[in-house]
Amino acid sequence: MTGSVSSRYALRSLRRNLGRSLISTLGVGFGVGIGLLALSWMRGEHTMSINAAAGGGVGHLRVTPDGWDERRDDDLRLDDWEPLLERVRATEGVAVATPRNRVAGLLGLGTRSEHVDLTGVDPTTEPRALRYVRDVAHGRYLEPGERGAIVLGSKPARRLGAELGDELVVTALDEQGEMSSMLLVVVGIVETGSDDIDATIAHVALADVEQLSGRPGAGEITILADDVYALDALEARLRPLVPPGADLLTWLQVSPELRMGLEADGAFFDMAVVIILLVVLLGVTSAQLTGVLERRKEFAVLAAIGMRGVSLVKVVLVEGMVLGLTAAVSALAWAAPLSWKLNVDGVNLAALMNGEDDSGMAFGGLLIDPIFHPGFGAWMIPYAFLLALIATITASLYPAWFASRTDPAQALRVDR
Amino acid sequence: MTEPQDKSPLVVVDGATKTFVTGRLEVQALRGLSLEIHEGDFLALVGPSGSGKTTLLNLIGALDRPTSGVVEVLGHDLSKLNKGQRAKLRLDELGFVFQAYNLVPVLTAAENVEFVLELQGVDAKARRKRALEVLAELGLAELADRRPNELSGGQQQRVAVARAIAARPKLVLADEPTANLDSENAEQLMALMRRLHEEHEVTFVFSTHDPRVVAHATRVVTLVDGQVDSDVQKEREAA
Repeated sequence: MTGSVSSRYALRSLRRNLGRSLISTLGVGFGVGIGLLALSWMRGEHTMSINAAAGGGVGHLRVTPDGWDERRDDDLRLDDWEPLLERVRATEGVAVATPRNRVAGLLGLGTRSEHVDLTGVDPTTEPRALRYVRDVAHGRYLEPGERGAIVLGSKPARRLGAELGDELVVTALDEQGEMSSMLLVVVGIVETGSDDIDATIAHVALADVEQLSGRPGAGEITILADDVYALDALEARLRPLVPPGADLLTWLQVSPELRMGLEADGAFFDMAVVIILLVVLLGVTSAQLTGVLERRKEFAVLAAIGMRGVSLVKVVLVEGMVLGLTAAVSALAWAAPLSWKLNVDGVNLAALMNGEDDSGMAFGGLLIDPIFHPGFGAWMIPYAFLLALIATITASLYPAWFASRTDPAQALRVDR
Repeated sequence: MTEPQDKSPLVVVDGATKTFVTGRLEVQALRGLSLEIHEGDFLALVGPSGSGKTTLLNLIGALDRPTSGVVEVLGHDLSKLNKGQRAKLRLDELGFVFQAYNLVPVLTAAENVEFVLELQGVDAKARRKRALEVLAELGLAELADRRPNELSGGQQQRVAVARAIAARPKLVLADEPTANLDSENAEQLMALMRRLHEEHEVTFVFSTHDPRVVAHATRVVTLVDGQVDSDVQKEREAA
């Protein structure tokens, strides 16, 4: 319709009541801008969560024994895990793949004891998959092939009164229900800044957990991807490698707390955006309807000279589209710079951490960076136009329908 | 009173009634009115206020449908046409001139004329050419790019006439076309419509109270209380 008389009519009609058009544009621009900020926040939260998951040991993807997802049973083991690990490591897009196994045990030192979940790890690859053990505060991390050594988080070490070089006795139940025990020398103590996270760290060699649990093999292979934005493709490449009896899970499946947190926040933001857009939409509908009512005589004349209802609908919808396009620009004009500023500077969430210090916030067993960076990027442009056009075109539907119902005879009769 | 006609009727109104209901109040605007309008008529509808002139024009113009009776316009029985079909009939076959000009204020004179042609699907170049041609014929070539608020009442009404005839309709309906004009402009407008009638054989039907306008008519139909009181063929007075 560009260049047609009817489109010129639509555009000039908007200009005719410039004040109302500007208020409508700013209203939609405000609502869409809020929507963009909410999306920016959600994207930032998603990125933060995926980074926390990746660095916090959850990984991007994980191979587990069948049934682990439902039962979360750490006694399960992968069959024939070593060739599988090699195949996974050789897959394009895999940055690191590390095996783990776990057993619940009781650590004892002198008269003190502490319940821990011992994690058997490959010392070569574990620090690449779990950032908490990259820098060990006291001592060192496990070395390849090392047996009878343990790296502890500061919380269990404190409760045991353990120091570097101390020998701890660990007792666990093996597969047959028999008590098995072992001496472990403390070679490192980790301090993440979060007691909740520190309480989860008790790393030993894979073989030590195999011995204590009486269950050979790894219970999981945790995988980090080279490119977090290509996880779907990597998942598709890995899935055929996974043998029967094993399963490939995403980070959201492995960490239901993160998933639920994201879903809850997403629902909250969605609701907030919907309410804001609804208010804006009603406002624009009202303004558009007023515009139609003011031009009732014009529409009646146009209908009288033969303009069909569908053409009148088009005129009102074109007006809505133009409002939408300008509103999208106005939304980008204020929301994009703000989003960029927040993205660059970050938002310090320390105040929300309830007693945690600035070094980290534990959530779902993961340490989350307190400096939060909302998302920013070219994706905002199509979203701005999409949201604005949906809002304004939807808002124009009723006024357009109303315009199409203009009875030329009645309108002219009233006018006289 | 109606004299025999040998021309084919463009419009046949047979026993038409039109009742408007406002709340509990029923107003019978037309009461079994019958009338034929023939090609080449330059017909004045006269009568006191409330006699049904505008209602009859609305029916003939396919803007409304009768409560009962038959209204056939160019062979189309209006009671059998839906809203879209009546819009198409108006677009393709009829032209309208309104008392208050009713030009679209945000469009120029040429665009107002072009609008009808665009609705008919005429391409941009052809419709622009035709609009300028019609405006020139009505002495408005210089004013083609002016908006209605930059034109006098007489000029606006001439643009309205240009809009009405641009698509070469068979029948032009004008509701009190001179009511808002001074006597000089009213006379010029009637002369213009008369010229179009004579040169292009456009059939005109207009309602009026103005005896000077009636003087231009070749046929005068007088309505009283929603019925035809008289229907007279007459010699047109010299312009």
